[in-house]
Amino acid sequence: MSFDGYKEVINEGDTVILYLTISQVYNVKAEGKTLNKKGQQVENIFQTPYGALKCAELIGKTYGTKIQLSKGWGYILQPTPELWTITLPHRTQIIYTPDISMIILQLEIKPGSIVIESGTGSGSLSHALIRAIKPQGHLYTFDFHELRTKTAGQEFQDHGLANYVTVTHRDVCCNGFGEDLNEKADAVFLDLPHPWLAVPHAVKALKSIGGRLCSFSPCIEQVQKTCCELKNFGFQEIQTLEVLQTQYNVQIRQFPTLDVEFLKYPKTEEVEKKDREVQKCLTAIPPAQQPGHTGYLTFASLYPIWARTVNKNEVDSD
Amino acid sequence: MEQSQEIQVGDQIIVQRQGYTKLHKLKKHGNMVIGKFTVQMDNIIGQKYFDTFQMKNYSQNNKLYILEKVEDGKNVGNAVNIETSGMDNRNIVSDESAQTLTKDDIDELQNSELNSNAIVEKLINNSKTFNMKTEYSQEKYIKKKEKKYFEYLQIRKPTIRLLTNMFYRQDPTKTLGIRIDDLSQILTYANIHSDGNHLLYDSGSSGLMSAAVMNAIGANTSGTLIHMHPGNECQKNAFLAMQFPEEQTHRCINVNLYSVLRCFYQNKNSFVDNICNDTEDKSEGEPEPKKAKLDGEPTQLTPKEPQWKLDNESACKILNNKCDSLIVTAKEHPVNIVKELLQFLQGGRQMVVFSVTKEPLQDLFIYLKGRLDIIAIKLSNNFLRNYQVLPERTHPEMMMNTGGFILSAVKLNS
Repeated sequence: MSFDGYKEVINEGDTVILYLTISQVYNVKAEGKTLNKKGQQVENIFQTPYGALKCAELIGKTYGTKIQLSKGWGYILQPTPELWTITLPHRTQIIYTPDISMIILQLEIKPGSIVIESGTGSGSLSHALIRAIKPQGHLYTFDFHELRTKTAGQEFQDHGLANYVTVTHRDVCCNGFGEDLNEKADAVFLDLPHPWLAVPHAVKALKSIGGRLCSFSPCIEQVQKTCCELKNFGFQEIQTLEVLQTQYNVQIRQFPTLDVEFLKYPKTEEVEKKDREVQKCLTAIPPAQQPGHTGYLTFASLYPIWARTVNKNEVDSD
Repeated sequence: MEQSQEIQVGDQIIVQRQGYTKLHKLKKHGNMVIGKFTVQMDNIIGQKYFDTFQMKNYSQNNKLYILEKVEDGKNVGNAVNIETSGMDNRNIVSDESAQTLTKDDIDELQNSELNSNAIVEKLINNSKTFNMKTEYSQEKYIKKKEKKYFEYLQIRKPTIRLLTNMFYRQDPTKTLGIRIDDLSQILTYANIHSDGNHLLYDSGSSGLMSAAVMNAIGANTSGTLIHMHPGNECQKNAFLAMQFPEEQTHRCINVNLYSVLRCFYQNKNSFVDNICNDTEDKSEGEPEPKKAKLDGEPTQLTPKEPQWKLDNESACKILNNKCDSLIVTAKEHPVNIVKELLQFLQGGRQMVVFSVTKEPLQDLFIYLKGRLDIIAIKLSNNFLRNYQVLPERTHPEMMMNTGGFILSAVKLNS
């Protein structure tokens, strides 16, 4: 219950981020008991490289403080969608923060927006979307995988976000987003194997005053088909882009210096053995290897009905 | 919560001519210069946003154009007939003789009637090489020429997306070099949303930062923003363009950095409630009569506190209870600013600093690493690439630009 609004103290049932180092970040639940693989109740103990953490001990602690482990220490933080994205249990490929940020800004989502997402996947983007639309807005998220929708629904419940989101099990390419959502949405997000099939349904779901659409696809062929379909259905401002983030490691490095000045003069008798000199330099080092592709983001606008170039009836009769 | 879709006098509008956009405040009987055209804007008043208008020559004045609403948007754009196309460019020699129309001929065409289709058709008919060009390059040619003589304008309501792209295209330095991907990440890494008290120091983004944060905080929510700036007046072009409702505008407290900090350090009793009244009376009581004498004014009624003073006090009240995020987008070197403002950030919360150059953030990184209350320090930048997507002709766009650098970190409770 720790995702809705800022909190000071950890309550029982909160999801807590355990930060050890920049690459060792985990989420744990502040609960004394948990179920093991056999479904039996056992003590909730989280093993870290720096020793075990009894999760019950987290209850009552303040977020943003140090916590002692048997062989070191860690820090406990309140989860944000960004921290959740790097710690969540993967059930599918997930969308990461650089793409998520772009999606939210480009879809013009703000508090009060009605947003449709398909598929739900592991809920990485969903958490960020919910943060952006709170408190008056709503997220309708769809997935064709039944278990995924159930798990995601349970997660939203546990995180105290259930009021802002409706999870539905449905194949939106075949069955659309449902009559109830006709002309309700400000924005539609598609992360589907065949996003072009969902475009006609998106047109129905977007508000009559217009809205924005985004499709995330790893392959350029998907992008191509989607762009054609978007154009057919009268979308404007169709734009495809990709964002890649590089993280730098900032270090003060010492470089040995070379001195060749002495070569200009004849050798003298007294050979002074000098220490090798070093020069300090502040450097920002990119990783040796990093993801070079996540997915193409295609954005498009559906204009209000009075400015649309493709008539809805025309499309329906096609 | 739907805002009016009707264009009204006083509205801040974005005027779009193909890819070009410009911000304009709509006045009665006002003109607007877009490209080389001076356009009389009155005819858009009372029409709807997203409507398209055609620029028409004004009979008495060659240089002035009036706008006429396009009823059927479908006819806007290319309807030029192409007769034949070539296979490739083997027979095309580029010299100045391909176009038989002279510049004066073209100017005259444009002055007689601005109609991109007609002009482009004339250009094609008088081009010796057009029919030898391939289909693709014909299309490109038409697009290029159409752009030059395009006579349609569309009126848009400003959004953060449109504003960010517009400012960046016009002059990136006017918004400190903040590109759309930079802005999007500043907002997410700082965890900006409808809840909480947020702190921003911004010295030169034309109001884009305060506008973007307030937009993410939203209308009819509980969040507030303290916007610190270094000047007498904060920059607010983009903020005004967003036309937030009054209630939302009021939750953005604009304060001068120096004067709010002076208030915070030297005038604690103006905003801290629980200071003992005795000390307050004594310290305040003494200098007052002296001042009255100097002024030599007759019986003075208690003067109304100036707005900036009230703003300082309400900002200090929030700062005293600490903020939920800290964003710094500064022209200045960030270390001193961050060093000072970090005290106002609540433990367990995020901070984000943007800079178009990496080196100042490297310094900041080392400084923060030396502090025991800062973790998860990350320095990053983005590669942003746009694509042309067309059947059989998909490729990255020819031009790209470089964004800035973002440092994010988490503060601990000490």
